[in-house]
Order: sequence, then structure tokens, then C-alpha cells
Amino acid sequence: MSGLSRAARFVWLLPRNVCIGILIVYRRIISPLYGDVCRYYPSCSAYTLQAIQQHGVLKGCFLGARRILRCHPWAAGGIDDVPTRAVQRYRVTRFGFVSTMGQGKG
Amino acid sequence: MDIIGTILWPIKWVIEAILVAFHWAFTQIGMDPAAGITWVFAIVGLVLVVRALLIPVFVRQIKSQRRMLEVAPQLKKIQDKYKGKKDQFSREAMSRETMALYQKAGTNPLSSCLPLLLQMPIFFGLFSVLNDATHNKAGVGLLNLDLAQQFAASTFLGAPLRDSMSTASNGHVVWVAIVMIVVMSASQFITQLQIMAKNQSPEMKESPMYKQQRILLYILPLVFAFSGFAFPLGVMFYWLTSNFWTMGQQFLVIRNMPTPGSEAALAREARLARKRQRRGQPEQEEIAGGDGGTVVVDEPRRTQREQPIGKNRAKQAGKKKK
Repeated sequence: MSGLSRAARFVWLLPRNVCIGILIVYRRIISPLYGDVCRYYPSCSAYTLQAIQQHGVLKGCFLGARRILRCHPWAAGGIDDVPTRAVQRYRVTRFGFVSTMGQGKG
Repeated sequence: MDIIGTILWPIKWVIEAILVAFHWAFTQIGMDPAAGITWVFAIVGLVLVVRALLIPVFVRQIKSQRRMLEVAPQLKKIQDKYKGKKDQFSREAMSRETMALYQKAGTNPLSSCLPLLLQMPIFFGLFSVLNDATHNKAGVGLLNLDLAQQFAASTFLGAPLRDSMSTASNGHVVWVAIVMIVVMSASQFITQLQIMAKNQSPEMKESPMYKQQRILLYILPLVFAFSGFAFPLGVMFYWLTSNFWTMGQQFLVIRNMPTPGSEAALAREARLARKRQRRGQPEQEEIAGGDGGTVVVDEPRRTQREQPIGKNRAKQAGKKKK
């Protein structure tokens, strides 16, 4: 992969990774203040995080918002996974950020 | 109008209506309309209305927590299965199985995320109402220019309600704000400590998340103190009253409907036992079916008569069990 297209990829994935960063900080610092709240597995924030990782900022945020609207006191709750994509285009790093599918030393 | 303003508009309208209604009511019973205390009471009234509206949500949560007794045996099974496994994957598998169990049983002890998020716009709405009043702007609804100016200029112990510590116009603001930050942190701290110390089952206390919570318990007051700088006193009064409400609510719940298996549940049993003794009633009367005091884990009941088996086979079966 050439340096230019790598840079383009980085810029393309930047908004996604910024949102992921915000969610990671939220999950580490603010979420524990509330304790266990969510009626679903994965929890709303984990769901949104995965949705953004897989589907990007726009669709991810939409999916996340829809999920939060579903997470009300009269909802049954339970297992509710993010709809998966047929093709996984990106690699998720150890911390949850998204990078390009590099072969070998990606 | 920007997007956030449009979303907040109806919320601000309702907040103003409630504030003005309470202000009017307190004025009718002879309080000074321009006094800070009247406006503080109006804010307290706003909190009471908001939190009272949230009571059904809370009651619903408590009810499903009581129904947890029904799934307690299966829950215990899952917890035993993952006992001592603290890696991330086991934890995730455990919460997935637990959630599947709740789903199957049709009961869910968790409170859900939406109500938490709904409280946030109310807070920002109040902030925005006060902020507009500070800049001598009329509200979006019933809070007309006169009332807005009166609200913003009213003082509580010499501190204008529109001021925050960062925009303090006199020394009174700093003192009132400091006292409020201390009381607010204290109430938050007590609430958290109550939940964590008394209302958690032993299984929960072993999990790594519990340790994380413990650390946060001590960092939290600092966070509150810091953010207390930025908010005007009026908003802080809302926050403070809301904290008090939570504290009281939590106290009642922990006292009367503790989490099964927690310290608070044992304390409740002891209290009930003493009560029975005082009245001279026999001990252990109806404790098992009670309000979530104890968890009775039934042995699986065998409905079928066991077939008689030969001596040798019985020996083998015995070995297998061990």
C-alpha cells in the first residue's frame, strides 16, 4: 500500500476513530458512575462502539441512538447484537480503534 | 435557531412554566417575589415535579428486582460456572448468559439507559434558562422579561442566583458555592457508599468492576467540586436538591428492598427478627417468601421414582458423581 493511500485511509477513518475515542473515555470514566444500568447485552455504549467500528460514524450513531430509544424501562431487554456486515473491511486494534486491513505489519 | 436550541425549546418551555407556577404559588402565600429564597423554592419545586414523574420508572425497576428471586437459582448456576474467572472474555460470556436468562424469564432488574439521558436535557434546559436570564433575555415561554430579570438578580444570602464561582460578583457567591459543593459531594458520596457497601451481593464485590467503582467513589467528589465552578448557583440548587432526593430514595430502597444476598438484606432480616421477638411471635415465620430478604436455592426436585439398580452399577454411579 503506498504512503499516499495510507494517509488517505487514515484521514477517512479519522472521524470514526475520534468517536471511538470519546466512547472509550466515556466507558472508562463516566459509565462506571452509573453502575450496571443497561437492559441489553452488549450495553448501549458497547453497542454504539461496535456499531461505529463496523458501520462508520453516521450509521453507527444512528444505530446507537435507535438502541438507546429501545432501552427504556418497559423494554424486555436481553441479547441484542450489532447487525454485522458481510465483509469486514477494517481491523480493530487492541484498544478498539479501527485501522486498515494491513497484511503482516499493518 | 441552532439544532440544540430547537431540541431544548420545548424542555425550556416546560421548565419555565413549572418555575413560574411555583414562584406564583409561593408569592400568593406571602413570600417576597423578588427574594432569592422564593426562586430557590421554585427550583426545589421543579426538582420535586421531575423526580416525582420518574417514580413509576423507579418502582418498575424495584418490582423487577423483587422478581429476581424467581431466577435466583439459575443465576447462581451461571455465577458458579464463571467463579474465579476474571479475564475479559469470561466476564463478557457471563454477562451474555445472564442477560439471556433475564430475557427468557421475562424479568430484568436493570433500570435502562433512556431515563438517564432524559435527565440531561432538563439540566441543560435549566442552565440555558438561567443563562438567558443572566443576559437580560426573556425566556421562551411564561418567563417574561420582568420575571427573568427578577430571577437573575435575586440573591440568596447575598449571592445572586445567576452567578457561578467563576463569575462571582462578590464574596458571598464564593462562600455559598463552596458550601454547596461540599454538601453536594457529601450527599453523592454517601449515596454511592450506601449502594456499594450495603446493597451489593458478594459475587458482585469480587468482580473487577467493583474495584474500579471503589476508586471512582473517591475521585467523584473532586469532579463535582471542579464542575461546580462553572455552573450558576441556580443550577447548583437544582443539582443539590436532586442529589438529596436520590439519597432519600436510595435509603428507603436499601432499607426495605435490599438486593438479595447483600449486607443490607441480612440487616433487614435481623431487624425483622427483632421485631418479631418483641411482639412475641415465633421465629422464622414467613421469611423465605418475604420481600427479597433471603434467596432459597432449591435442590432440583426429582419427580420420578428412582429405578432400583444393581450393587455394581450403584458403585459405579457413586464414583462418577465424585
